[in-house]
Amino acid sequence: MSGAKSTGLARAAELYSVRGQRARELKQEGKKIFGYFCCYPPIEIMTALDIVPVRILGNMDEPITIADGYLPPVMCVFCRSAFDIGMKKSYDYFDGFVGAHACDGAERTALIWTNYIKTPCNFHLDIPHTAHNSAVDFFKQQIAYFQQAVEKFIGQKISPEALKDAVARHNRQRALVRDLYDLRKPDPPLISGSEMLQVLIALMCIPVEEGNVLLEEVIQEVRERPNVQAKKSRLLIWGSLIDNTAFTDLIESSGLNIVVEDTAIGTRPFWHDIEETQDPLDGIAEHYLKEVLCPRTFRDSGPSYQEDSEMRFGYLKEFAKYWKVDGVFANIIRNCDVHGYEVPVIKDYFAGLGLPVLVIEQDYSTAALETLRTRFQAFAETIG
Amino acid sequence: MFFAGLDIGSTITKVVIKNEKKICATVIKPTGAEHRRLAHKVMEDALSKAGVPFEDVDYIIATGYGRINVPFADRQVTEITCHMRGVNWLFPAVKTIIDIGGQDSKGIKVENGKLVNFIMNDKCAAGTGRFLEIIAGVLGVKLEEIGELSLKSTRPSDISNMCTVFAEQEALLRLSEGTPVEDILAGIHKANASRIHSMVKKIKIEPEVAITGGGAKNRGLCKALEEKVGFPVVVPPEPLITGALGAALIAGEQIAKIDKEELQERQKKRRLEAVTFFDDESTKAR
Repeated sequence: MSGAKSTGLARAAELYSVRGQRARELKQEGKKIFGYFCCYPPIEIMTALDIVPVRILGNMDEPITIADGYLPPVMCVFCRSAFDIGMKKSYDYFDGFVGAHACDGAERTALIWTNYIKTPCNFHLDIPHTAHNSAVDFFKQQIAYFQQAVEKFIGQKISPEALKDAVARHNRQRALVRDLYDLRKPDPPLISGSEMLQVLIALMCIPVEEGNVLLEEVIQEVRERPNVQAKKSRLLIWGSLIDNTAFTDLIESSGLNIVVEDTAIGTRPFWHDIEETQDPLDGIAEHYLKEVLCPRTFRDSGPSYQEDSEMRFGYLKEFAKYWKVDGVFANIIRNCDVHGYEVPVIKDYFAGLGLPVLVIEQDYSTAALETLRTRFQAFAETIG
Repeated sequence: MFFAGLDIGSTITKVVIKNEKKICATVIKPTGAEHRRLAHKVMEDALSKAGVPFEDVDYIIATGYGRINVPFADRQVTEITCHMRGVNWLFPAVKTIIDIGGQDSKGIKVENGKLVNFIMNDKCAAGTGRFLEIIAGVLGVKLEEIGELSLKSTRPSDISNMCTVFAEQEALLRLSEGTPVEDILAGIHKANASRIHSMVKKIKIEPEVAITGGGAKNRGLCKALEEKVGFPVVVPPEPLITGALGAALIAGEQIAKIDKEELQERQKKRRLEAVTFFDDESTKAR
């Protein structure tokens, strides 16, 4: 980075706004950089080999101009955007590309990606759609294949100690993120949704140790600064990810404070630690399949609709309680089926908790954001 | 004490000036591309109609999609809350409001004078005034006459497509087949009502139901909606002003919450002029 190094939130804002920059620098220094789709590929495997894992995201500011020639418009617009900016060389510094069968959109995009965007090392991770024990066993085997493929590419084996160490460092990151989430419990929260988003995306573009230093700086800064937030209604976001502060700014300038987000750039990758098991792959497989709670995975269900909802969404009740949530925004990126299909049940569940839900299916485009302002403002007026 | 509500809609701008007892003046004017420069002119009209000097207005609320362009407003409130308040004042028994505006349509739920839920369509012209404008143009009938004309139909034609562009094609096709204009219009109104109804149904339509906005001035559309809803609906005497009226009512409530000194301070700072954050030359509509 440039001469005088910024720290804390300022550093997070930099990393957020020029996302590939740190990875490009590290590549210059000889490090290998791997891009990965969604929050299911185990980044611990990459960290254990000193590879920098970089999360592949789209760009809401960039109109989709190339991807539509390759991916149909019925596909999730986030996936199409990610592929579009991939074709425009946003990710041309990757040494490896890890696709995953997370949802149908991510899978098709990954296959097209390997065909048209050439990366030295490619791997497609098969992730089962259930979380039964046999599925976990199967998934563990897939992770082992992934590990072998990466080891072969780097020309070095991962020792059990190195993997355990990587797990410990990522667990540390998860714990720090949860500490930061705690600072959103006061009213008003000590950190805004936009600042939080900058920090979380920054973490996904840098090595884990740098991320942990950043988190410690941010936590200290947020604790010590005077609270800059205004008191507003407290919002939980559930659903498709948000990866642009233009969106969170719009929400927070419409009379709402974002206090917790159950999304793939929110709590999901960070909420549970990986258990330290004798064979580290056991803990890793269990964690990703059972504890990363994207509805792309079908979970054990109860004998009735109510019990089923309770088993699947009980954690949201906890979020609502401890973060003192006033209302819920169900964010659906257009054609994000896994979240779109859950809307009726999620509305029912929150209604049962007495929480109003605002459902918006949006086009993943900053140009189309302003028309949503009236909905957020009216929602704030409803719950305020 | 006087308070004002300005509702700058996509198509029409409405102003209501009120005191504690009654509505003192209402103004309804086309919004136009120059609305950023003209909000204060419409306000001036309303003030002179009411015979109230600007300095005597204690609180002003702006609403509608142009609400950010009213620099002399004390506060902005969405048109959803404002319509709710306006209708609730006129018809306290109303629980469901269907607002059919120029560029969007909305469903609004009221409980004990509070906004509890809403739904809106602002991505597509289907189910909005714009749709009716386009069809009126295609059929060569004045917009304000299409509703009445549609009521003369004995055999409403089927219009299956609700995309404005394709519905326009269908209407043309029916014309070429020799279908009477009133039957095509009846079909169009039925299709439009069905589209609006299926959207508002999502937030549960409970009686009483009120229809507001420009769409409420179209008797054919109201009748088609009434048939869909299954029971009679109420239409305010001037369905265009419920948003501005609600804004004025909320303005009245706000005054009670602010102490006198702050109110005077606000009044002193207030200037009846156009927004200044636009570069006047480059943003002028041509």
